[in-house]
Amino acid sequence: MKWLSKEIDVFLSAKQYIDTILLTLVPISFHENMKETVSMGEFSSVLTAEIERQLHGRTLVIPPFAYLKSESQDEKLKKLGQWTGELRKNGFRHIFMFTSDSQWKAIEELLDGTLIWIPAIPLEHMDEKFRREILDEQTKQVLQIVTNQWQSGS
Amino acid sequence: MAKKNEITRRQFLNYTLMGTGGFMAAGMLMPMVRFAIDPILKTEAASDMVDIDLRVEDITTEPIMKKFKVNQVDGWHESEVEQAAFVYKNDDGEIVALSPVCKHLGCTVDWGTNPAYPDEFYCPCHAGRYYKDGVQVPGTAPLAPLDVYEMEIRDGKVFLGKTLPHPKA
Repeated sequence: MKWLSKEIDVFLSAKQYIDTILLTLVPISFHENMKETVSMGEFSSVLTAEIERQLHGRTLVIPPFAYLKSESQDEKLKKLGQWTGELRKNGFRHIFMFTSDSQWKAIEELLDGTLIWIPAIPLEHMDEKFRREILDEQTKQVLQIVTNQWQSGS
Repeated sequence: MAKKNEITRRQFLNYTLMGTGGFMAAGMLMPMVRFAIDPILKTEAASDMVDIDLRVEDITTEPIMKKFKVNQVDGWHESEVEQAAFVYKNDDGEIVALSPVCKHLGCTVDWGTNPAYPDEFYCPCHAGRYYKDGVQVPGTAPLAPLDVYEMEIRDGKVFLGKTLPHPKA
């Protein structure tokens, strides 16, 4: 489900079936690598949306966790920890975090949830068909990770 | 003093002013109202069947997932939405197009992905299962069969329209 009032109505009525959170980690920066930063967030958002479409009935996409690239690792970790803590408190058993920012990869084991790190592919120059194929391929692999975790965890 | 049926100069001027004023107001308001209710006035497109780029001779008894784009108009907002269908020939040789959207909570089902049930549609979210004809397996999560697409064959190509409830629903 998406973070929209219409879909939250369904969520509230079928809460026991929805135990998975999809969270995008989106960096913000205005410096020389601004474009790269933007495309990181864009790519992981597109991918998250696609995963949501396929697994609509068991997942909830919440607004992205946005952070400044200039923030220190400790600060980011602390803030994200507050988010995941809140999610756990509300009974979500699976948390998947999608990002293209490699900084998270280095501190993966400190996160409360599964980090899915996918290097950003510049989608903007691709023609529609190729773009579709690439996304399908990526989606398939990520779906596998999610459903595997469901099977082992439930 | 004016006679009974005669109108005074003042009245005449009042009437003419009201008349022209009314026309001017109507002239301004009409296009605005038309704009406001525009989507209602438009007739529905004669054919909203979509070519899904699949030839009849390529369809086998094995369901294949075919993705296609549909223009969705929501009031003024027009957008392209991706949809998918499972297309196959049933035992009677009829072509069937099923919607892959699980009737439980809307995940996308897949054909034969669960090794335990190779000849069924399987939903990864809550282990929902459907037989090949789209009817749900009793006792699994879904409470209704998969929707079917409105279908037409033109020049050997498959065209799909809206989704309709399954005939066995």
